Amino acid sequence: MAEKIKWESDFNQALERAASEQRPILVDFFNPG
Amino acid sequence: MESVTFPKDEVVNFVMKNFVPLRLAHDTQPHATDFNVKWTPTIVILDSRGKEHHRIVGFMRGDEFIPFLILGMGKIHYDNGEYEVAINYFNQVLQDYPNSGSAPEAVFLRGVSSFKKTNETEPLKETYKLLTEKYPDSDWTKRAFPYSLL
Repeated sequence: MAEKIKWESDFNQALERAASEQRPILVDFFNPG
Repeated sequence: MESVTFPKDEVVNFVMKNFVPLRLAHDTQPHATDFNVKWTPTIVILDSRGKEHHRIVGFMRGDEFIPFLILGMGKIHYDNGEYEVAINYFNQVLQDYPNSGSAPEAVFLRGVSSFKKTNETEPLKETYKLLTEKYPDSDWTKRAFPYSLL
């Protein structure tokens, strides 16, 4: 069973992680309802 | 989005292995404005510096999501002029997900990447031929029509 996706919730933190891990960012703009 | 796509183990594993996943409410500023978000879900692929390379607006079937992501990874390299690497990603879409909605764009961009790499027109002609054979109703086939005249 796979783990759930561990989402970042802060844009700048995601950018820092992406730069250090050299990975692209997948952004899900969603409607929290 | 989650109820449709993300519960699939394969998708979760692929995202966690290859991306930094970021979830933002659609009205989060300044990002909603910066990325011109008008509807949900809007899924955007950014490079590691935050520049956009690929997006989809609206729901996507679970089996379409991984090819969408691989195409996006290829487009990051394509946009950066790294055509050989980009071609590898486009080939991966076509090998593993030839019937996906991302496949026609992968054929198109693979042909353009080959042209940009070699300056030979043959890959463009082959691209149009393949698109007409395999994806005759795709918009990408229409876009490739001029290559048939080369």
